[in-house]
Amino acid sequence: MNYDELSLLRKPELLNRAREIGLRGRSKMTKAELIEALVDVEGGEEASSLDEPGPMIPIPGVSLEDRVEARGRRIDLYDRLADLVDQEKLCRWRSIEGHVCGLPVVRGEEACALHCDRDRYDTAIPITGRLGFDTWPTLLRHLHLATYDIDAIGLDPVVHEMAWHMLNGIYYDYFRVEVEGIENIPMDGPAMIVANHGGAALPYDAAMLALAVLNEAPRPRRVRVSATEIFNMLPWVSHMYRKVGAVYATHEDARHLLERGALLGVFPEGESGFMKPVWQAYHVQRFGRGGFVQLAEQTGTPIVPVAILGAEEVHPAVAVSKRLAQLVRFIFPQQRVEEIAVFLNPVPLPVRWRIRFLPPVMPENPGVEPDPLRMLERSEDIRRSVQTTLDTLLAARGTAFS
Amino acid sequence: MRRILVTGAATRTGGRLIQNLERTLDTRVFAVDDLDPVEEFSSPFERLSLDQLSFARFLLDVKPHTVVHLQTVDRSALHGATRAHEESTVGAQALFGAIGRCTTIRHVVVKSDGAIYGAGPRSPSILSTDSKQRRSSSRYQRDLEQMETFVRDVAERHDHVDYTILRLAPIFGPTIRNPLSAYLTLPGVPTLLGFDPRMQLISERDALDVFLHAIDNPVPGTFNVAGKGQLYLSRILRLGRRVPQPLPKRAFHAALRGIARSGIPLEKHTIAMLKHGRVMDTSGMQDTLGFYPFLSCRQTTMVAYGRVSDGFDQ
Repeated sequence: MNYDELSLLRKPELLNRAREIGLRGRSKMTKAELIEALVDVEGGEEASSLDEPGPMIPIPGVSLEDRVEARGRRIDLYDRLADLVDQEKLCRWRSIEGHVCGLPVVRGEEACALHCDRDRYDTAIPITGRLGFDTWPTLLRHLHLATYDIDAIGLDPVVHEMAWHMLNGIYYDYFRVEVEGIENIPMDGPAMIVANHGGAALPYDAAMLALAVLNEAPRPRRVRVSATEIFNMLPWVSHMYRKVGAVYATHEDARHLLERGALLGVFPEGESGFMKPVWQAYHVQRFGRGGFVQLAEQTGTPIVPVAILGAEEVHPAVAVSKRLAQLVRFIFPQQRVEEIAVFLNPVPLPVRWRIRFLPPVMPENPGVEPDPLRMLERSEDIRRSVQTTLDTLLAARGTAFS
Repeated sequence: MRRILVTGAATRTGGRLIQNLERTLDTRVFAVDDLDPVEEFSSPFERLSLDQLSFARFLLDVKPHTVVHLQTVDRSALHGATRAHEESTVGAQALFGAIGRCTTIRHVVVKSDGAIYGAGPRSPSILSTDSKQRRSSSRYQRDLEQMETFVRDVAERHDHVDYTILRLAPIFGPTIRNPLSAYLTLPGVPTLLGFDPRMQLISERDALDVFLHAIDNPVPGTFNVAGKGQLYLSRILRLGRRVPQPLPKRAFHAALRGIARSGIPLEKHTIAMLKHGRVMDTSGMQDTLGFYPFLSCRQTTMVAYGRVSDGFDQ
């Protein structure tokens, strides 16, 4: 910004910008002094940290070509994200105690990603216009002052963005996720994304599914993946999973989101899919009682089946123990674990992931309660289509790491 | 001349409601409670316990058109759990029995509480009035359920009575004194380590206005009442510039017992909320009842901690 543009801003907004660049002695400056100091600093064209690649820290198991490609994909994403906000205009939102927001506005709107009403919880518009550690001070300031609302389920856009930024490293550089059929995700309105489940240790597949839609879709829509009640009982997990955008898997919450046009991620296999031993990897288990079909019919939501290849080899489970689960239940009587997978590698393996989105399955009679048998049939159809896709993907690839 | 009977006149909200009603034209207010009022008002006040038959006789003498039942607060810390339970359930039975018999009554407004939903690892993230009731865990929750059943029964059996049940979020404000607001305004607030519940609040002025609104616009039904938005407990404390003291489970409960001894007895249902959180769906309040709270949850917090004025007088 040049002198004229800066002089149009009010003093609190200038102070905000001065704080962001860490200008010393800003609180004692007059408005004119602030403008001059800011012109000095902002006058030169800022070099983006992405344009000059820093040293590449080698990752065992990941080749240099993959790393270079990952960097290219990341730059593509950041370019697309930069188009979503207008850096020239600043948000004029003011809190009840007098803080001025000062973030760049969303393109076509009058307010920034935290304060405009449109799609605030559906589209993950980067708050400062890009992802990067240098934006974290700004993000943490808004988190600290609590200048924005969380959504009804508990999604915190700032925490979501920080998690997005951190996990992108795993997505691009470690798991090197390849995505096909992203055009099957509707860009408007609700959809239920039904995937196979695996991981044994952590729900990597839920995170990668959410990132696949954020990073590859034309508009970065949030996928609200659903989690079991164990998440509600564990300390730290109980609120962090909500803040990064996951939901507790109940019909009430799912219906609340689908009626508001959100993307809901569902893993109907549940625990029996998550705790598979390695020799059963990619044998998709029964899709529960098909409750997700019932919900899709009631709300008239299309179902997008997804095959996720990779999650089940990250921590290959050599055994699935019921004894160990008994021990855990003895120590923590509240937990309802049935079995626990035993794996030998504390560090996840650098598996190359493939995610394929299949064409959406439309509801048969929207708004009508389906009969129980039809529900089972339809859920089995969807399970079989996921299984077939997994088999095709498995046959097409060499080893898990190539 | 409309005649309004208000129970629970000793509470701060009750007293202020009576003061407000006295200022409106053509209204006579009759106040009942079994404690002495905190707020001053000029309307006739009867010190009666709801579970005594003299109260039913009083109600039939007064012949009100509207009954506002506010005496549903958890008084277990004051009277002991058994007495509080008896007073609230037997009192509700006597009250709604008398309402059925008194033919002048057109409308009953009842203050219920969000605590009726309970809070636990299996409760949905967003609670609506038509979601099925969970297994009751606290006595107060069961009392509320029973009281609401009495209300629905009397409205079903007697055509002349309409009812409005208001399930309020915790009331928070600069002058209100309830255990939760006393807890939130401690200089160092003990919280449960690793848990950050989502909470809704309603400002004390909005809590008053919703009753005035319901008295003037008798819309039958059950409504959740809370300010716009919701907040994590950590955010509430950050907005109030209070320092959270995260404690593991046992130390947390010991700390709560400690502050209970110093005069802030947090109820069992509130402690459950401090672990798992509770957020209600307020779309019915806006669309059907037509009530829009003046302050959002965030603004309520800022006002309650005295960081800004509430702007009602401007």
